[in-house]
Amino acid sequence: MSTSAVQVARLLALIPYLRQHPGISLSKVAAEFGISSQQVRRDLEVAYFCGLPGGMPGDLIEVDMDAVEGEGIVNLSNADVLSRPLRFTPDEAVALVLALQAIRAVAAPSSHAAVDGVLATLRSLAGDATGQAVMTVTAGTPEVNATVAGAVDQGRRLRLTYDGLSRGETTYPVVDPVHVELRDGSAYLEGWALDRSGWRTYRMDRIAAAEPTGEPAGRHGTPPRRAWLDPGSGAATEVTLWVSPRAAWVGEYYPCVRTQPVADGSHVVLLVADPTWLRWLLLRLGADAAVVAPLAAGDGAVIAAREALAAYEDAGPGPEG
Amino acid sequence: MAPRKSERLLNLTIALLVSRRFVAREQLRGIVEGYAGLSDAAFQRTFERDKDELRSLGVPVETGHNEVFFDDEPGYRIRRSDFELPPVDLSHDERVVLGLAAEVFRDATLARSTQAAIAKLRAAGVEPEPGPMGFVTAVTAAEPGFTTVWDACLSRTAVSFDYREPGERRTVEPWRMLSRSGSWYVLGHDRGKDAPRMFKLSRMRSEVRTVGEPRSYSPPPVGELDRLSQALDPSGRSGERDAVLAVRGEAAPALRRRGTVLHDPPAPPPAGFTVYTVPYDRTDELAGEIRSSASGVLVLAPPDLRDAVIAGLRAVATRPSSEEIA
Repeated sequence: MSTSAVQVARLLALIPYLRQHPGISLSKVAAEFGISSQQVRRDLEVAYFCGLPGGMPGDLIEVDMDAVEGEGIVNLSNADVLSRPLRFTPDEAVALVLALQAIRAVAAPSSHAAVDGVLATLRSLAGDATGQAVMTVTAGTPEVNATVAGAVDQGRRLRLTYDGLSRGETTYPVVDPVHVELRDGSAYLEGWALDRSGWRTYRMDRIAAAEPTGEPAGRHGTPPRRAWLDPGSGAATEVTLWVSPRAAWVGEYYPCVRTQPVADGSHVVLLVADPTWLRWLLLRLGADAAVVAPLAAGDGAVIAAREALAAYEDAGPGPEG
Repeated sequence: MAPRKSERLLNLTIALLVSRRFVAREQLRGIVEGYAGLSDAAFQRTFERDKDELRSLGVPVETGHNEVFFDDEPGYRIRRSDFELPPVDLSHDERVVLGLAAEVFRDATLARSTQAAIAKLRAAGVEPEPGPMGFVTAVTAAEPGFTTVWDACLSRTAVSFDYREPGERRTVEPWRMLSRSGSWYVLGHDRGKDAPRMFKLSRMRSEVRTVGEPRSYSPPPVGELDRLSQALDPSGRSGERDAVLAVRGEAAPALRRRGTVLHDPPAPPPAGFTVYTVPYDRTDELAGEIRSSASGVLVLAPPDLRDAVIAGLRAVATRPSSEEIA
């Protein structure tokens, strides 16, 4: 789309917006339209030369340019012809629908009615276009979503029944919840884990149950921004894995530093913060992956696999004899 | 010059919007600032481009005749009811939701589109309310082909790309974009296979190119898209077979929660283990999940699942540990 087309599309919303908000500051307009103040000024200069056909002075849109330059305040008038914005374009309606679908998955069930209300309004405004995209996110059950949202909102301490993935065991951490965070396709609860005295991130779909302990949540400051990336304690180390073509998805699915094709598959360099996670991954992939370097990173998986095979021998032969 | 062109496009929009009747080209040439002074050929060319450009922005420029017998030249107009966003009335709670929606996307394409939509709502007098604290969202679309496929899907333009392997060319009419747990997919008509297919954007192995013109096909109705989305969903599971597993204590939570306790197992499990039946479809997938619990889960049946688990464990167990190398 040409820059003029983009500008005209914006003006068809900006002009009715400014009619709705007389005396608004230049910086607020810029923030709400996601453009610079300089761009708002350029848009206003275009509007200034537009109006009803005929081009007589009384036909043109009026903008108080002195107030724009002087106090940074926008007053636009004589634009009754553009009193309402242009209808939604498909990309606008669809993006908003996706955002609402994401929110619905994470929000407490008590706010579903409001989300559905907005979705119904969008469908009535944009029709079939709203069916052109669908977003599903991994989130908690309605009960867990409701309890967690309530606890965050009211500052209550929670006891979780948590099916941690890499530990491979259900644990029962006591957590002071801070917020629910939607990162790409998954919802996470971020909070202070009392037994670990540290920030932890819990995937909402692995919280089998959440129950308020009856105590108020303590204050622990603000969680560090990178906490969600790094569920373990120490810093992440680079581990190079060989993966077979069948397991090439590993390089797409997990945060990876780089991928390099080799004769019988590829080498994937992963950032590993938690050794139990790597053990989990290697066991899962079986013959389709191996540690290239550092070799010690694979020890946990090798030992666990030997133990598991021993358990099969102890249990005796399988039903097939 | 860009500002001049913007002025011309906006003045043309206003001229077509205020007229109840279809306005002939020559008339527009006289009243819209920017057309005066152009030669006949330049005017025709410029007008054609302007009209197309307005339509691509979603401005409904209509072509028609004022006379019943069509003996006049065709003219143009914009029907106000097709142009304007109809009145929107949202409750306080709904406006809170709208405020949250504005924050969902970190991806540039999607964030720009939501921001533009919300700006239009503000222009229509609907102000989002600040959302409750304790709710953070950041949805991205990291796949390199995302913007091209997204635009193509919305404008109904076919795309082509290499899929899975370089050189495996596919040409697809995109119908619907799907985000599943953080990965983007596109559902569409695969021209080569002449059938609906779902593609994962991260498996596209080349630049995505558009093929042909926008609006060159019509997607099936929404109900059919819903059916196909489900039928082709890569994570769809029906659970055709049952595995019998012995699970130790609180190990393998995800397996336990999908399964049911078998109170009367064919043979008693080892001490500390409980026997579950777990429905599944794909042996290799379930085997991987079972292996990841190491000695926490033992397969009792069926034999092919047990063999798959043991074979994978052997592959890992026979690798030297770092101590054995040293």
